[in-house]
Amino acid sequence: MRKSSKLNLTLGIIVFGVLVIAGVKYLGKVLMPSHVASAAMRVKGSPDAPIRVTEFIDLECPACAQGAKYLAQFMADHPGSVRLELKYFPLKMHRHGLEVARYAECAARQGKFWPFHDLLLERQANWSRLMDTAPAFALISGEVGLDPQRLKACLKDASVDAFITQNRLEGENRGVKSTPTYYVNGKMVVGINSLQSELTQLLNASQK
Amino acid sequence: MPLKSNLFILLRLLVGTLLIVSGLEKLVSPYQNFLYVIQNYALLPPLLEELGARAWPWAEFFLGVFLVLGFWLRWVLRGVMATFAVFIFVVAQALVRHLPVNECGCFGDLISFPLPVVITFDTALLAVTGVLYYRLRETIRFSLDQYFNDNART
Repeated sequence: MRKSSKLNLTLGIIVFGVLVIAGVKYLGKVLMPSHVASAAMRVKGSPDAPIRVTEFIDLECPACAQGAKYLAQFMADHPGSVRLELKYFPLKMHRHGLEVARYAECAARQGKFWPFHDLLLERQANWSRLMDTAPAFALISGEVGLDPQRLKACLKDASVDAFITQNRLEGENRGVKSTPTYYVNGKMVVGINSLQSELTQLLNASQK
Repeated sequence: MPLKSNLFILLRLLVGTLLIVSGLEKLVSPYQNFLYVIQNYALLPPLLEELGARAWPWAEFFLGVFLVLGFWLRWVLRGVMATFAVFIFVVAQALVRHLPVNECGCFGDLISFPLPVVITFDTALLAVTGVLYYRLRETIRFSLDQYFNDNART
């Protein structure tokens, strides 16, 4: 009798716990406002590609630099297979995270997002150690051919910060906590290992 | 009631609440975030990483709930000690192997600790749980186990 009441109560607690968690998750989805930022200038790859990747990136994050290298190689090896869209998700733990996102967004507004992005990540280990990154970013901006006057004005433009915040909010609403977080054909994958296995699976499936 | 007994109840509630918060934080966010944390420790094959990311937060959460309620205490305390021992092992091997893990991921996005702090913290929690287990007679006060024991006697 005593044992069966204990077992019944155990079951009740577990069922109640599962229901509470499910309720919290459901409410979280329903109550969170949706922020979908347009990122047309931060997209590359064929519009008809069967694999669509949305990446939430912190440009100071070393794993993001590795992920970008892997994705670039994958896209070169399998042309036309991936359409990649980037969204900013500057992490608070990175002191230059927001600033570098501002520069990248300003490069996007001059139509030079990808060359700027590639150079930034290539030299990330150098500039991320600096206290003042402005000279390093100015150098990269010059190398990719950004107009310095437009860049200066853009960096002061409040809509740049607003766009980055909108991207970050969208990420938060979708459950992004760390970078790089990818959505591969809508499925969330975090980190390069998961990205590699997801892309390989999709590629194998498309070749069958 | 003596102060010492109150202390055991308080410690039981504290450790239990900690596990509930830690488990809850992981459960309400997409499991892929915790999967990424597990992958960073480079210890398990992919299938077990996936399984761990899905199952571990539930285990943490319910161990916490049962500890707070004081239900199946002997077993739950053993489970909690095993949990902290696993944490210590996983973090220690990451330190020994110089893995590029900057923070533990123990509380998801809520709090972030560097690994040496995590080891110290988990060791302290393991010790506290050990004391709670060793002094089960005091730990059991104000618990469902005590309620069932008293009912069985009457």
